[in-house]
Amino acid sequence: MRLEIGNFYVRDIVLGSDLVYENGTLTINKEEALKFICEDDRITEADIYIAKPGDKIRMCPVKEAIEPRVRPDGRSVFPGYEGELAQAGDGVTYALKNCSVLVVGRHWGGFQDGIIDMSGEGQKYTLFGELNNIVLVADTNEEFEKREQQKKNDALRRAGHRLAEYIAATVKDLQPEDAEVYELEPMIRRTEDVEKLPSVVYVMQPQSQMEEMGYNTLVYGWDMNHMVPTVMHPNEILDGAVISGSFMPVSSKWSTYDYQNCPNIKALYQEHGKTINFLGIVMSNLNVALEQKERAALFVAQLAKTLGADGAVVAEEGYGNPDADFIGCYVALEDAGVKTVGVTNECTGRDGQSQPLVTLDEKCDAIVSCGNVSELIKLPPMDIVLGELEALGRDGLSGGWADDELLGPSVKPDGSIIMENNAMFCGDRVCGWSTKTMKEF
Amino acid sequence: MKKAIIYINQFFGQIGGEEKADHAPEIRAGQVGPATEMAKSLDAEITHTVICGDNFMGSNTEEAIAAILGMLEGKEMDIFLAGPAFQAGRYGVACGTICKAVKEKFNIPVVTSMNIENPGVEMFKKEMYIMQGGNIAARMRKDVKAMMALSNKLLSGEEVGCAEDEGYFARGIRRQVWREDGIPASERMIDMLKKKLNAQPFQTELPIPKLDRVPIAPAIKDLKTARIALVTTGGIVPVENPDRIQSASATRWGRYEVSALERLKTGEYKTIHAGFDPAAADADPNVITPVDALKVLLQEGVYGSLHPYFYSTVGTGTTQAEAQRMANEMVPYLKEDQVDGVIMVST
Repeated sequence: MRLEIGNFYVRDIVLGSDLVYENGTLTINKEEALKFICEDDRITEADIYIAKPGDKIRMCPVKEAIEPRVRPDGRSVFPGYEGELAQAGDGVTYALKNCSVLVVGRHWGGFQDGIIDMSGEGQKYTLFGELNNIVLVADTNEEFEKREQQKKNDALRRAGHRLAEYIAATVKDLQPEDAEVYELEPMIRRTEDVEKLPSVVYVMQPQSQMEEMGYNTLVYGWDMNHMVPTVMHPNEILDGAVISGSFMPVSSKWSTYDYQNCPNIKALYQEHGKTINFLGIVMSNLNVALEQKERAALFVAQLAKTLGADGAVVAEEGYGNPDADFIGCYVALEDAGVKTVGVTNECTGRDGQSQPLVTLDEKCDAIVSCGNVSELIKLPPMDIVLGELEALGRDGLSGGWADDELLGPSVKPDGSIIMENNAMFCGDRVCGWSTKTMKEF
Repeated sequence: MKKAIIYINQFFGQIGGEEKADHAPEIRAGQVGPATEMAKSLDAEITHTVICGDNFMGSNTEEAIAAILGMLEGKEMDIFLAGPAFQAGRYGVACGTICKAVKEKFNIPVVTSMNIENPGVEMFKKEMYIMQGGNIAARMRKDVKAMMALSNKLLSGEEVGCAEDEGYFARGIRRQVWREDGIPASERMIDMLKKKLNAQPFQTELPIPKLDRVPIAPAIKDLKTARIALVTTGGIVPVENPDRIQSASATRWGRYEVSALERLKTGEYKTIHAGFDPAAADADPNVITPVDALKVLLQEGVYGSLHPYFYSTVGTGTTQAEAQRMANEMVPYLKEDQVDGVIMVST
């Protein structure tokens, strides 16, 4: 499978009369874009803003992030989700780089939504603080979940994916500035030079713990709660086969943008043929019942063994209950003789004194740690708020609270906030971006 | 200028060595012993030095704490320092004990220094900053320098870095930090992966505490011929406590011959364990060390023979490392006498 990603670097974004990309500047006709978004009659209210690094902008509740992309051959960028099912990971796709579409609730947030700051102390906490963002702020008629803590955010998330593809369409007939090529030979048809290197699989555990449909990560539109682990080509992940869900505390989330650009996959690709033989992805999931967790771990270890993997990397999207899936899978791989490295975040509590994962095992001797979900963060007010800041305390965002005996409310009258890292949108970046680690104090 | 008070033992207080270890606590205006070295770099004036014998603190802990807290009452004090205690076990425990009491009573920062082998580290590292010190007093200057560096940060309110960077024993607190080198997780993952695949040493970012599970021994096949020994962490000793086993956080143990006895007599044996009400055990030491029952069972032929000694230490507050060391010291005696089974009596 050979995937070529043609890159168009977005150095500035402005609103104007046409949708056009020229000399690094992306111009968007807001009215037309909004008209397109409102074709989904569930959208009741929508607006588009530009948020760039250094802007005094805070966004809340942020629900999803997507890299704008288009397929010159007309295939969908998100097959099985926003278009016909088709093979992802093969052929040519175009991407607007340094750029994302962010989806923000106009009013209502939930457990799975978060915060992004574009400047000041809060900027460093999310990747999106460093990107040029097209921000869709919208509301919907999804009354059934308006006051639910756990939201599917279906209309808004789909709107974001549609907008990303709609905007990128403007570069469809242009020449990209440069291109990245991702190509892996079939696992059993590799050269001797590659074969002699230690072979490695990347085991992904996307969030899929909701028994009710509509919240979980999707693969080609299929709810990942309804699968057992399988083998995938890394290119499929980089090319829109996986759509982020709407479920877990948001600092642990992997947005669709994170899947499209997954640094762990790119790093393994980088080493392929040099120091490792990158076999591919073992796509697992996260489960609720112990038997489901054990079944998934059993499948993962079996697949790694059957493929002849010498090593594996396991990464989990979530913390708490999913730690059991993470540790279980790690131990199963080690027991199968596969040398494993884990990537995760921790939950050591606001005082840092809690056990870092809900379950531990001595066999997990190589872990990259990306942060503490419950670290307290205080941030000063921001000039502009996109969305509704009150949502942080009012709507049960995982890192926010309405009131606290010692700390007071999350959202102060002056617009400053205090919250747990839990509410930083995709803040722990276990997919590989994280420059945070954990230290003993 | 901010004020500091320091605690040292009789030796560093220049009162005397082991023979003066019972020295009752006293407070002197000004700087004694290590305090002089500290004064050179501490951003506070050391106004007083507290001196206390190690045995006095160990044997009369409550009295010593009360006396010292009384001496400190009403004195201006922004930080309290103790030691450095190096590898001196009783001194380290004393430093930890008094620092903890001062921190609780006066709510000011406390800093001490010990060697990793000092039992005070395991006992107190979660309660305070204990700098990782040298094993002998020749390391005094270096240890004092490290203590002062951290103390000055605490005095000025400067942020204290992680244990690794500052040189103190980790206090059981894990926090997220931003890596100064900005190396992302993906690169750290690759680095660790390559090292693990190539059997090279690597450093995990989430050390998993070692669970020291001891497998249950196989059952004794024939009890009728088995040689049995009695071991307890319940602190039963001859009343004079000949081995001076500590009442808590023990580092010492003893073995006492019982081959000629029918039972442990009241008034001849007692418990020195400080972790439970001793009334019942003092009234009848056999409730914790059942020599009486074992003698009866021996006569009845239930088991083969009894090892002539029972072994005793105190379990309360005793660190796993010390417990393991003491067990390793006991085991050769049991092996030499071909003991088949041990009855381990806890409390």
